Amino acid sequence: MASSSPDERPAKETPGAECPIYEEIISLDRVEQNQRLAVEELINTEASYVHTLELCVCDIRAHLRQKQLPDIDLEGLFSNIDDVLCVSKRFLKGLEATVSQEPEQLLLISALFQEFKEEMESVYKVYCACYEQALLLVESYKKDPRLQQEIVETLNTTVPHTGASDLSFFLVMPVQRVTKYPLLLQKILENTSARDNAYSALQSAASAMLEINANINEYKRRKEVATKYSKVEHLTLRERLGRLNKHSIAKKTTRLSRLFMHEAGIVPKTEDKEFDHLEEKFQFLESGVTELKENVTSYLNNLQVFLLSKPQECELEMEGAAQQYRRLAGTLHRTIFPEFRRRLDRLVYQPLCSLSETLKGPQQLIRKRLDKLLDYEEIEEKKSETGNVTYDEEATMNTYLAINTLLVSELPTFNQVAMQWLGQILRSLVALQRDLAKQVLQEAEIELAQLPHSHVPLPTFWKMVKDTLSQSGAQLNSFCQKFETVMPSPVVQPLSPAEERRVLSLVNKHGPEKLYQVTSNISGSRDLDLTLQRGQIVALLHEMDTKGNTNRWLVDAGGHRGYVLAGKLQPYHLVQSQKPRMQMLAPDAGAERRRHSYTLPETPKPQVLITPPAFQVVAGYAFTARSPHEVSLQAGQPLTVLEPHDKKGSKEWSLVEVNGQRGYVPSSYLMMVPTQEVGGWSLPAWSLPTQQT
Amino acid sequence: MSWIPFKIGQPKKQIVPKTVERDFEREYGKLQQLEEQTKKLQKDMKKSTDADVAMSKSAVKISSDLLSNPLCEQDPNFLTMVTALDTAMKRMDSFNQEKVNQIQKTVIEPLKKFSSVFPSLNMAVKRREQTLQDYKRLQSKVEKYEEKEKTGPILAKLHQAREELRPVKEDFEAKNKQLLEEMPKFYSSRIDYFEPSFESLIRAQVVYYTEMHKIFGDLTEQIDEPGLTDEQREKENEAKLSELRALSIVADD
Repeated sequence: MASSSPDERPAKETPGAECPIYEEIISLDRVEQNQRLAVEELINTEASYVHTLELCVCDIRAHLRQKQLPDIDLEGLFSNIDDVLCVSKRFLKGLEATVSQEPEQLLLISALFQEFKEEMESVYKVYCACYEQALLLVESYKKDPRLQQEIVETLNTTVPHTGASDLSFFLVMPVQRVTKYPLLLQKILENTSARDNAYSALQSAASAMLEINANINEYKRRKEVATKYSKVEHLTLRERLGRLNKHSIAKKTTRLSRLFMHEAGIVPKTEDKEFDHLEEKFQFLESGVTELKENVTSYLNNLQVFLLSKPQECELEMEGAAQQYRRLAGTLHRTIFPEFRRRLDRLVYQPLCSLSETLKGPQQLIRKRLDKLLDYEEIEEKKSETGNVTYDEEATMNTYLAINTLLVSELPTFNQVAMQWLGQILRSLVALQRDLAKQVLQEAEIELAQLPHSHVPLPTFWKMVKDTLSQSGAQLNSFCQKFETVMPSPVVQPLSPAEERRVLSLVNKHGPEKLYQVTSNISGSRDLDLTLQRGQIVALLHEMDTKGNTNRWLVDAGGHRGYVLAGKLQPYHLVQSQKPRMQMLAPDAGAERRRHSYTLPETPKPQVLITPPAFQVVAGYAFTARSPHEVSLQAGQPLTVLEPHDKKGSKEWSLVEVNGQRGYVPSSYLMMVPTQEVGGWSLPAWSLPTQQT
Repeated sequence: MSWIPFKIGQPKKQIVPKTVERDFEREYGKLQQLEEQTKKLQKDMKKSTDADVAMSKSAVKISSDLLSNPLCEQDPNFLTMVTALDTAMKRMDSFNQEKVNQIQKTVIEPLKKFSSVFPSLNMAVKRREQTLQDYKRLQSKVEKYEEKEKTGPILAKLHQAREELRPVKEDFEAKNKQLLEEMPKFYSSRIDYFEPSFESLIRAQVVYYTEMHKIFGDLTEQIDEPGLTDEQREKENEAKLSELRALSIVADD
């Protein structure tokens, strides 16, 4: 090309601009214009975005809500779109405010982004994390013709101008918008010269927006991983077996063998000190919370048992201190302790349960992490050997990395917050105890004030009580004695004639001192035991049985011989004369005879004993003497038997003395009759000395 | 009146006047009720104190298990709080034991002692009843003979029967009188007897709860925020729960 003068060239290119300066100015203008357009685009798109959001929330969702379709999960579809709308509206307002501030608009816009970035991040990350789920819902509703019809009808009613027939058109908008911010800012940046004072501010704003997008994605990914692995699956045995297949078995076997190799030291464990430290703290927390929950449960159970026993409800028909106690215990049981239990439940137990629940997710993730770590190590090994891995293996490795990163980043917060919460719960426990004490004390002091000895200092009071109780104890003893020393009843049973004869024959055979009377019915249980009725008379043969047992005596029951328990016998006295040979006996002090192991004295004279009725012989029938040897009798006449047999030894006749006369009478005409003992047992004593004979 | 055994054959005239019988039954009835109530009171007291001890022990377990958790080693603030809590619980447990011992001595033992009189009483009542039976039987026998023709043997039998009856009747009357005198005395003795027990119960509670108020009052000042209401505490708990739930690693639901 021929060299032309500098003046010619510019003239050929542009009509009016003859020099590069012009070009610059024109392109500057263009740049400025583009910048302005970009800014306008930012603001305008934001405005229409907000408008669409409003449609979504106020029209579409409201319309669907009004329909009250139980199968449509509005929460799941729209999640936190209200928050998104709220933030965006305020952001828009801020943007619109910058329009009037011409020279500083860019600076203001950058500042606005910085101001809103945190809010946007927190609001959009939630929405975006839920968006996948929302899409799934939309798809599932499409499959249900009835629901789909409802949705389409709503859309046609509320937003017919958009021509949309799919909810996802609207739901995707926030997801798209937040990614647009960096792009819009970038566009403005392109059309801003580096020398502009707003340039660096715009740059910061753009990178901030990029950052929040990265964070939103990270959050979404973590949430996905966490959701996938943190749920504890409650599978039945059948379901677990159903999951077994070649692949899963192989996977688990590999993991198990790797674990063994770890433990055996064959293969080095991938040590991650940071993680281990976090995990350790988590495990301590977990065990602490679990234990605390158990202990609080058992405390509450004991409280329950305590409230069930109500000693104050016993009615002793007493006034005085008993009433005070009743009122106090009643208030405690009805009001104060139930209130305590309620507060304990709300402020300690329930929070512990919630805290305990939150521990499950991380626990599960930690387990899964270990599983995935074992997989990871396998694959790492393979990678170092072969140099490449499959797509699936790559994915597995990434899963491990994702879980690990997730745990390492979130466990510190978790541990810290959980610890704080634990501390809160313990402090509540302490406060509750204090309040309980205060309330009980209030009530108790009211009752205490009404007691007679409330002013007495404590040690004196206890001493007083002790002394009073020992005195009362002595009084109780005396009552006991009084009740116990009621005289035992006489064994009252008249002897039939046959009995009398038997008794007489026993007396003849063994002597009157060997007579005993049965005090209560005996039923013999062993071989040689006798069965006897109360009141029967027997003669003692031997005070011991063949085995040397002194409680079992051999007796003659007039015909049969056998063993009876010594405790059921008492000595029996036979009075053979009218003479008061029976002395006045002091009544026996003490209880009814239970066991006696004394022996009768040599003489038939009775000693200090419980005496059975003395016997008197009387004439049972009238008898007319037919010879000078005989004597006449009148019925009922008392007499004395001198000899119970005649000169020849025959027992059919007895020598008696009656009315001063002596003579023989038929023995069968004689009768034994009990006479009253002079003085003696029938008048029980009142307060008796305690010594026993 | 189920304790009166069924009599075979009613005697023609009432042996024991109705008023006497009524009086006896009334007094004995009151004592039977008292026996029941004192036994019940003793049982319930025992249950109550046992539950009390169990509660105190489980409170100590709360703090001592926490103290033995390694968390305490890692977090000095936590250690301070848990140590203070443990000390408080242990002290309260020993005060509780004192209280329970005091109740044992001044309430439960006296109750037992009071109850121990009842067997003797019941025995005495039984004996009276036996005597009454004998008395009635003998009385009817005498009456039977009195109605018969007065022949020799009959007269002898009558005499004999009367001789038998007399001591038994006197025995019964003596027993009856004694019981009728002593039973009301015993019944009313309960008031003076139990008054110190109930006073002790209240006093012992006051002592215990005074200590409890002091110990836990001091502890709250040491570790807690003063003046927090229940609603505020609940809000704090909710806040912590939300914080945890906001983390991805915490499973939803």
